[in-house]
Amino acid sequence: METRIRRIYVRVVGLLLAGAALAPFSSAALAQSDQEIDDIISPDLERREIREAKIDSEDFEFTLYLGGILSVEDFGSDRMIGGSLAYHINEDFFMEAAYAQSTLGESSYERLSGSAPLLTDDERDLSMYNLSLAWNFLPGEIFLGSKFALNSNLYLIGGAGNTNFAGEEHFTYNIGVGVRMLAQDWLALRLDVRDHIFEHEIFGEPLNTNNLSAQLGVSIYF
Amino acid sequence: MTTALLILGVLGGFSSSVYAQSETASEELVTDSFSAHQFGEREPQTLSFDSEQVIVGAEFLNLYTGPGRGYVIDHVVEYGEPLWLIKRRTDWVKVMTRTGKTGWAKIAELDEIYTPEGEQVAVPTPGIDDYYQQSFRMGFTYGDFAGANSMGISLGYRFTGNISAELRAAQTIGAYSDSQTYQVALMHQPFPRWRLSPYFVLGTGVNITSPNATIVATEDRKDTAMLVGLGVTTYLSRRFALRAEVANHYLLTSRDENQEIVEWKLGFDVFM
Repeated sequence: METRIRRIYVRVVGLLLAGAALAPFSSAALAQSDQEIDDIISPDLERREIREAKIDSEDFEFTLYLGGILSVEDFGSDRMIGGSLAYHINEDFFMEAAYAQSTLGESSYERLSGSAPLLTDDERDLSMYNLSLAWNFLPGEIFLGSKFALNSNLYLIGGAGNTNFAGEEHFTYNIGVGVRMLAQDWLALRLDVRDHIFEHEIFGEPLNTNNLSAQLGVSIYF
Repeated sequence: MTTALLILGVLGGFSSSVYAQSETASEELVTDSFSAHQFGEREPQTLSFDSEQVIVGAEFLNLYTGPGRGYVIDHVVEYGEPLWLIKRRTDWVKVMTRTGKTGWAKIAELDEIYTPEGEQVAVPTPGIDDYYQQSFRMGFTYGDFAGANSMGISLGYRFTGNISAELRAAQTIGAYSDSQTYQVALMHQPFPRWRLSPYFVLGTGVNITSPNATIVATEDRKDTAMLVGLGVTTYLSRRFALRAEVANHYLLTSRDENQEIVEWKLGFDVFM
């Protein structure tokens, strides 16, 4: 828009200058018209210099899971380790890439039937990654007694990713909710609860599974 | 006639002198003002070495307890008062006052701050100009790769306003097979300044396909792939641009027939 207006100005000035260049051939008013044009087009303003502030921005947040638990349908609940990197777009939204690993236990079928295990030990290793978008929908403060107030966020998060387990890739949606408490401007404690939804065929036919995870993490902003 | 001109001239001269006067009145810099001098040379004790000092030129500036619109305003800085900029988070700046009090100021309200020498200071926010002048960018996409879900990541570099190159990696997860694709692509944007700017892609790479083992035990296939595509990109906000693309992948397989795959994808770019 601005450039378009500027372009129109340039065109007008160009026409004026062309007019000014042609006019003097027929008249002796060259000096005068030049003077007039200068009055019209040269701004009588001093341009003020604006400098950009040298300021460090802290829009990234790195989180390490201090403790996590992942429950995979039929395979029990197991310890999960991992971390995530988030970029804060504005005060309302952030996006996050996460990676986590776990080792699954025996399925209830394997335990009860006493037959050969369904999966090898390698196939019990689970790894997943995802990219999610989160909305800080309840920002606020958490009061600890009468002396301290910690800034906090309750956020809704959802995204898509991949889960590798039982020697297969599984396209995975995740949806969840989390709470973040900021001890300092750069240090926060986070508790996340997610549902990882994917389909697998380990038991012979496609099965849509809901797999819940909960993780407590500590994050630093940089 | 001449009297009329004379009157007009006098009026004109009068109004222009009034105008000039009002202009000089507003020209006084905040750094030279009485208000600025009355605050003196006091500096906070706990100041980090790299924080920058500015003088507030707006009538007042609200300081919030946190970087968000819902936090409480618990301090107000006056016209002419010095302020130290500490750091920034999204659209907020953490500042320290001369008494050592810290708070968060909205960048939109920090539009009138000056250095002690009187030079105006702006806190930069990424905008559409950065989009036009980008060099490196990172992209994330989600798509449909002939019925399979695909997730991709890309690293791009823009050489000129029109031409850029991209390294792309994608993982697709389908009902019958999974695959990984790695490509290098060249993009041409004929009209980079359009709000919705179209582009063309030409690329080459490899596709590694692994059929799902639950059906039959098969081996992974590695095929050379070529792609040609058409897309559109638009600036979203801050450092983000949205893009949609349809590409035709041509797999040069070792089997009797080559394979063609149409991929649709939607994603966004973060430019640096």
